[in-house]
Amino acid sequence: MRKSFVIFLLIILIVLSFSSGQIKRGGTLTIGVDQEVVGLDPNIVTAFSSFRRIDLLYNKLVKYDDRLNIVPDLAVSWEIPDNLTYVFHLRKGVKFHNGRELTAEDVKYTLERILDPKTGSPGRSYIEPISSIEVLDKYTVKIKLSTPLASILSGLASNNCAIVPKEEVEKYGNLQRNVVGTGPFKLAEWVPDNYMRLVRNPDYFEKGLPYLDEIIFRVIPEQTSLLAGLKAGALDMATINDGSVILQAKKDPNLVIMQKPGINVRTFGFNTTRKPFNDIKVRQAIALAIDREEIVATAEFGMAMPSGPIPASVKKWAKNVKLLPFSRPNIKKAKELLTQAGYPDGFSFKIVCSPTYEGGIAVAQVIQNQLKKIGLKPELEVLEWGIYIDRWKKRDFDSMVELRGGDPDPDRFLYRILHSKGAVNNFLFKDEEVDKLLEEGRRLTKYEERKPIYDKLQVLISEKAPVIFLYVPYETQILKPYVKGFKQVGNGALYYLTSTWIEK
Amino acid sequence: MGKYILKRLLSIIPVLFGVSILVFFLVRLIPGSALELFLGTQVEATPEQMEELRRIFGEDKPIPILYLEWLSRILRGDFGYSLRTSRPVLPDILSRLPLSLELTIFSLFLSVIIGIPLGILSSLKQNPIIDILIRIIGLLGLSLPQFWLATLFVILFSSLEGLIPMGNFISFSKNPLLNIKMLFLPSLAIGLGLGAVVMRFTRNNILEVLQMDYIKTAKAKGLSQKAVLFKHALRNALLPIITILGFNAGYLLGGAIVIEEVFALPGMGRLALYAIFQRDYPLLQGIVLIISFLFVLINLLTDILYAFIDPRIRYE
Repeated sequence: MRKSFVIFLLIILIVLSFSSGQIKRGGTLTIGVDQEVVGLDPNIVTAFSSFRRIDLLYNKLVKYDDRLNIVPDLAVSWEIPDNLTYVFHLRKGVKFHNGRELTAEDVKYTLERILDPKTGSPGRSYIEPISSIEVLDKYTVKIKLSTPLASILSGLASNNCAIVPKEEVEKYGNLQRNVVGTGPFKLAEWVPDNYMRLVRNPDYFEKGLPYLDEIIFRVIPEQTSLLAGLKAGALDMATINDGSVILQAKKDPNLVIMQKPGINVRTFGFNTTRKPFNDIKVRQAIALAIDREEIVATAEFGMAMPSGPIPASVKKWAKNVKLLPFSRPNIKKAKELLTQAGYPDGFSFKIVCSPTYEGGIAVAQVIQNQLKKIGLKPELEVLEWGIYIDRWKKRDFDSMVELRGGDPDPDRFLYRILHSKGAVNNFLFKDEEVDKLLEEGRRLTKYEERKPIYDKLQVLISEKAPVIFLYVPYETQILKPYVKGFKQVGNGALYYLTSTWIEK
Repeated sequence: MGKYILKRLLSIIPVLFGVSILVFFLVRLIPGSALELFLGTQVEATPEQMEELRRIFGEDKPIPILYLEWLSRILRGDFGYSLRTSRPVLPDILSRLPLSLELTIFSLFLSVIIGIPLGILSSLKQNPIIDILIRIIGLLGLSLPQFWLATLFVILFSSLEGLIPMGNFISFSKNPLLNIKMLFLPSLAIGLGLGAVVMRFTRNNILEVLQMDYIKTAKAKGLSQKAVLFKHALRNALLPIITILGFNAGYLLGGAIVIEEVFALPGMGRLALYAIFQRDYPLLQGIVLIISFLFVLINLLTDILYAFIDPRIRYE
């Protein structure tokens, strides 16, 4: 009996001595990013770069975990008694950075601020159907909708819906420069175009977290300079999206490359009111000439996932793109369709793109090549980013390469892109069948009821092809090996830095 | 001389006025607006929101009226607020000025150290091999693109501590030694190219001056090659270089954009670049006005310096 006990102890000791997962508290993490933030008010900002800082400074009612499931953040639980009513139960003892406890009144204030047109909040359209917000007690909020919106939880998980304190907004006018959130870190110092220093919030509601004392964001616009910074040890972590730089990083045994399909989708879309793209056969012919694998290999160095209308990384909803109609290359059929449409010798047209990352000039070049195989003569129109946006706004293009910000909820992603009243439906696409399905998909709230509708929609959209969904690029973070505990979230969010530690 | 300086100073005013009109109207000819870029392609706004946003972004009135409003504020010293960051424009620009000034001065200094000695050497034509070598260096300096050189520096020297700024730029007042260390490579990237220009200019000028009559006289008097060169030829040959340096100084103040981007330096060039990309009109107008003012001022200073050094020149 004694002998086996000693052996048992020895085994435990050996296991413990091998475990390198010992969490170390303290230290500073320096992360390199290529864009400076313009402002930090969560209800107002639009840029992804801002969201990445807000990830650490504020909290929302709910958030996405690393598997893209909706999980509690400020709300510990919620009920949905009917598809127009949501009741949220808030966490107790959550403190704002100014020391005051967060209550249901703050949720009410924030949501009303977002809904107020004078705020100019991008989050307004995410929660528009909210008709009333009732404070039932200090920690309970009841939200009523005027029409059903299945994706409202997804909308509330957006950084634009982070909860802010009323007295601070009124004191400063807005929170662009002054941060008073509930997040794991507080803003200590901000030198624009240089660095931003965040310090640990000792009163953060997740006990024991965060592990780090400080996080410093350094703005380095050039991707190669970011990699150089990592190699030199000036940076502990960097967000890099240039494929050739990532390939270089992969060759370095002293760097850890974390990659995961994001939820943004690269698209190639048409102005469906312009000849000849108003003819469905022409669009289908083009769809059949597109080879997604080739585009991924050439333009993204293989670092992307081919996708259909729903981001392929959202496995709950996305159908396999190979099973969707008009989504596998078929040059013969493509040429036939073109002839049927009256263009046996093809035609020339323009593809709008931009040299920026979102503007996808490399993608446009590959597509141009692929379309030549079916006799078309596309020309690239490479525009400066501001002009690209201007043409997008005016719907002044034949076809366009874009990067669409995706969402784990299919309603939030597809409705605004393809509904005839969708705000970012720059394809001017109008289809009754698609409209009806989109409306029904947002009206129902149970997954089992919504899945068949979105399955049908993916097939339908691939058939009608107002826009061809190409692929989901990987999100990449490059880390030094002593940075432990970080997990990627598909939308690029950084809040797992809260449970990250440095082992040095 | 004093009257001349006063006249030149006064002439800055119409120049700035013209610049203000040019920049205000020209930049609004570019398609795209700050508001459009703010919304991007992912955000939806209702008609009421758009009206409010247009008011905030200053797009609700005709352009000439906006110009007059802006001009009246500038004359009172109010440079307005950035459309993107809502911060006052002037302090932001002025905070980046020291870095741009340092970069400019350091680059000019390096270009002189590199260019003049090499220019003199190559003008002596003592050793044909050295002459050719120097001419090749000159050609390289002129042809190698700055961004390539800058990126090369970053990759090669990033492992050496403190030599490459990594978003942690330290100002001169905080730590002068570290500051100079950080600006060395960026200035070199500029200085090499500029040094080649200075070198060729020096070489040509010296050769030209050596043909002059007074040089023949000096040689006839029995002065050594060295004495001829350093006592007589050099002074006359180097004078025009001041003009080149002065001109380039004005250009470098706002134009070192590529170097600033690659080395992550928070200078005025980068600020101007962002202002253009974001159509941040108040910021862009402020930057262009200030850079134009400095440009004209530097030109004036160059001319005055010239007059001080060369006793033959007199201004009325």
